[in-house]
Amino acid sequence: MATFRIKRFNPEKQPEPYFEEFQLDIPDGATLLDCMNQIKWTLDGSLSYRMSCRSAICGSCAVKSNGHALLACQRQAEHLVDDNDTITLEPLGNMKPVKDLVVDFTPFWDKINKVKPYLEPKDEPPEKERHQSQEGFRIIDDSSTCIMCGACYSDCNTLEVDDNFLGPAALAKAQRFVGDSRDSKTLQRVQDLSEPGGIWDCTHCGECVERCPKPARPFDRIKEIMTVALEKGVHNNNGARHALSFTNSVKRSGNLNENRIPVESMGFFNIPGLLSLIPVGLRMLLKGKVPPVIHHSIEEVDDVKRIFKELDQ
Amino acid sequence: MKFALFTGCVAKGATRELMLSTTKAAEGLGFEFVEMKSASCCGAGVVSEKSPLLADALNARSFSIAEKQGLDIVTICSTCQGTLKKTEAHLNESKEYKEKVNDILEEGGHQYNGKTRIKHFANILATEEGMARLKSRIKRPLTGLKVAAFYGCYVLRPSERSDFENPDNPTGMEDIFAALGATPVYYPSRVKCCGFPIVMMNKDASLGMSGNALQDAIEHGADVVATGCPLCHLSLDSYQPEIELLQKKNQSIPILHLPQLVALALGYTPTQLGMDTHIISTLKINQILSGSHSSTH
Amino acid sequence: MIQHDVVIVGAGLAGMRCALEVCKELDVAVLTKVYPSRSHSGAAQGGIAASLGNSEPDSWEEHMYDTVKGGDFLNDQDAVEEYVKAAPRIIYELEHMGCVFSRTPDGKIAQRSFGGHSKPRACFSADRTGHAILHALHEQLIKNSKSVKIYNEWYMHSLVVDGDRCNGVIVSNIQTGEVEVIRAKAVVFCTGGYGRVFKITSNAFASTADGVMAAFEVGIPLEDPEFVQFHPSGLYRQGILFSEAARGEGAYLLNDKGERFMETYAPSRMELAPRDIVARAEQSEMDAGRGINGENCIHLDLRHLGEARIMERLPQIRQLAIDFLGIDCVTDPLPIQPTAHYSMGGIPVDKGGHVVIDAEQTKMQGFFAAGECSCVSVHGGNRLGTNSLLEAVVFGERAGKSVLEYARGKDFGNVNEGQEKAKVLKKFEDIFQREGSESYNQIRDEMKEVMMSHCGVFRDEERLKVCIETLKKLQERFKKGKVTDKGKLFNTEIYEIIELGNMLSMAEIIAFTALYRQESRGGHFRTDFPKRNDEKFLHHSLVYDSPEGFVVKTKPVVITKYQPEERKY
Repeated sequence: MATFRIKRFNPEKQPEPYFEEFQLDIPDGATLLDCMNQIKWTLDGSLSYRMSCRSAICGSCAVKSNGHALLACQRQAEHLVDDNDTITLEPLGNMKPVKDLVVDFTPFWDKINKVKPYLEPKDEPPEKERHQSQEGFRIIDDSSTCIMCGACYSDCNTLEVDDNFLGPAALAKAQRFVGDSRDSKTLQRVQDLSEPGGIWDCTHCGECVERCPKPARPFDRIKEIMTVALEKGVHNNNGARHALSFTNSVKRSGNLNENRIPVESMGFFNIPGLLSLIPVGLRMLLKGKVPPVIHHSIEEVDDVKRIFKELDQ
Repeated sequence: MKFALFTGCVAKGATRELMLSTTKAAEGLGFEFVEMKSASCCGAGVVSEKSPLLADALNARSFSIAEKQGLDIVTICSTCQGTLKKTEAHLNESKEYKEKVNDILEEGGHQYNGKTRIKHFANILATEEGMARLKSRIKRPLTGLKVAAFYGCYVLRPSERSDFENPDNPTGMEDIFAALGATPVYYPSRVKCCGFPIVMMNKDASLGMSGNALQDAIEHGADVVATGCPLCHLSLDSYQPEIELLQKKNQSIPILHLPQLVALALGYTPTQLGMDTHIISTLKINQILSGSHSSTH
Repeated sequence: MIQHDVVIVGAGLAGMRCALEVCKELDVAVLTKVYPSRSHSGAAQGGIAASLGNSEPDSWEEHMYDTVKGGDFLNDQDAVEEYVKAAPRIIYELEHMGCVFSRTPDGKIAQRSFGGHSKPRACFSADRTGHAILHALHEQLIKNSKSVKIYNEWYMHSLVVDGDRCNGVIVSNIQTGEVEVIRAKAVVFCTGGYGRVFKITSNAFASTADGVMAAFEVGIPLEDPEFVQFHPSGLYRQGILFSEAARGEGAYLLNDKGERFMETYAPSRMELAPRDIVARAEQSEMDAGRGINGENCIHLDLRHLGEARIMERLPQIRQLAIDFLGIDCVTDPLPIQPTAHYSMGGIPVDKGGHVVIDAEQTKMQGFFAAGECSCVSVHGGNRLGTNSLLEAVVFGERAGKSVLEYARGKDFGNVNEGQEKAKVLKKFEDIFQREGSESYNQIRDEMKEVMMSHCGVFRDEERLKVCIETLKKLQERFKKGKVTDKGKLFNTEIYEIIELGNMLSMAEIIAFTALYRQESRGGHFRTDFPKRNDEKFLHHSLVYDSPEGFVVKTKPVVITKYQPEERKY
């Protein structure tokens, strides 16, 4: 017998959400969705949530279980029971709850739309199919597995504090086109995606990769966009400058020159940015925490330089 | 127990007290840490933004350095740990990729053979042997000190590469705190992000994240936050005075590196561990340990 | 009252393709009770058929023959010919839109073998072809968002009909509970199938016969409803689809003795015989006690394919088996069983997607249908794999073109908003006021159980009669069901109840027509009439409602190129 502790919310009845517990014997081989259905169909028909395919392809049933987003139909309920024989269910994070476990997906879809998620081909289509290499398919294969379930969006640490962030799903979708050999707007795309709210606002927390029920791995996709953006010379932003400064530092000395990187990341002409470094810089100076002014290289740094040269970096 | 110590860049720069306290902790535990002086920066997941292959090649070289010494690698930074493990995974996933990287390393006399293991200091302590050693050498149990862990994202996610049993609900660090005689404080934000990677790009968001985490720790009754990542330390300590959320409520909380906490229990003094160089004063900790400060807020 | 030139109900492949066609000229709205990317089209795995000849030389004639033979010669061949001829262009257009396809070494769209096809003509995207096409079309819809309005999570209750003319639909907004009338010059149904009437099905919870029943209720007959396809490889007890592509890549079907039993049933095609033949083979083995461990399942063995090939061609379905059965097909055989998968029958339409109401193809003005909910008929008595994705896109486009031709320059019809709304409001009220002594869940389980056992892969007169009896009793009990949620905000319970009502009616229609058809053809197999009877039954069944109960009229099959012959593999 397991306890399902579910966050209920029905603004038609009362303005605040509340937790309700249901006792259920988890049937053999039952998924979390199977259990939710059992509760709904035998205990309380008003329990509301989205679901459809029950085979991890439609993306409807993403929900927060024990504090972390997952696809309810994909997981065996008995694996989710905690030490108190309980499974806690809540609606997805970073989205407004509508009723019980149903959330408002509008901002999610709006952000998907914002990255222009459709092919912009170079020229008039040929008579037959455009050719694409098997490698070309491989580059967009992972991002094309995304089922838009919102699990990544729910647990994204940046989105928790900054609504302006496009979010992992939209950015992963964007990579599907940035990496598509048939698309002609790569430069435009990476320029748009390098704006505030885009790729450089990702905090690398890895929650999106962790929660994704498919092999889409949004964070890996975001990094792929970053690489393309840097290759295409989209350098006029703090994120790009940071990556370049870091890499150049390692090239020169084998390690990071911590005094240079904040300044180079901001950019020499970015007066407000440079000024914003002063408080923390001053505090650290006063405590003797400023890294040594004379920066030392690692031993055998020549081998590192050789590697850089060999890779044309 | 002898290890190749991968220090990471920040431990010798902006958070020098980490290197200092690591040396002391190792001494106190009887570990032999051999500093990897010719290892390059792990790349912190930033070099791979420029070129994934470059980042992997540089890290493979570091692995080879340890392999030649016949030693496993110990890291003292969650970011280094996560980044090195990522390279390890890339190299082991594809024979062709491993060959490609080894081709690049060859001229420098290096090869990656997959022999060296890469562990975070916390993982080494959390083993049976580590715990036994720890418990047998404690000189000053941290009784009465309520410690909140802050793991650092890179060491936890993605979970297939984490050395913590349950990355959603790890207990490794809390087990260490308990072994040191302290009271571990569990709170939801201990597995979240401090925001350091975007402090240069989106400072408000970055401080928002560290602010939420610190407030969470404070509200759960912690006296101090102990972290396994110096970048998290920079975020949580050096930037703490700028966090509006805490300023408004006039709250603050000192931040320790894990080796500092361990070394305190092994009998070293705060000054020996560089605790006087922190931005947020660590005086309170000593007061709690000597019983002259009430540890409730 | 909401008004659009055209309203399309259903935003899967057919619905979206139709919308893309219609939006070129007219104001079009698409209604979906989920979101477009949640549509069941996305669950299709194996591929979409076209005689591109990228793998081996191929021709539309061969595709047509395979389709007609696969359909046991019940297909309307004039429609099939146009459909297979259009296939290559349709695929190229999808690719031009950006659809992600797996490729050959020289960069062309890759094609693989599939059951019932004599040549490898299944164009695929790893093992998620439906998903790839669904998203490609959705992307185009986003690109054209200014010209297409999408009503997400709106439910279609019924058609607004005036004589022989369709003037709109009555709908409700699932989120707010508000009932609305949408007046339109033309209505297109792309509402999918109804596998959910069966216990073991590959279909999503959303596949509940809403569209076909809405048409039936205004007097439109349903064509060939007795023809339901049971897909051979549903994951045991779950029914979740494990693509035919696995067999296309070379997997074996084994009984308890480890025998490749398809040798007995279809020696030349073996595992790649058409689905109905394989499903019956499996059921026969299981009925004879040769199921794995004597249970109701068969082994699908992929081990000899090797990990590399499985990871390249079938990664997603491998993960399905791990997630839902805890079995890795790289190292172990998978237990599978027949699962209700596709509805060959549906709303009768002509080649252009225009709904017709009798054997003479009299059109219902302003009403169109495409995809699984329709019956053209291109699949006849049994659909070949990869032909459904093709049907949805081809006829989505055709219906769109027909709609443009019809609705251009037409006026809106008369709609009495108050009256129409009242009908649906009353339906809600009736359900809320019910006695409440019965459990809807119980009724639904019993319906699914009896349909599976008494109207499944093997049927006979006696069991079908018992089935119909049982369904009628369930329909009575349905009127006394208990409702918990009487609110307006996102009330998922009330819609499940309405859907159940539709399914109970549909189930009865299927069983009734199965009883009528005293022969075996395609997916419909009568153990008491095991042979195909062209003399008496080479026609489509058109089922109508009448005060005396259901009535079956016949509709001739259009036979042009390929005369019916014995169907052997």
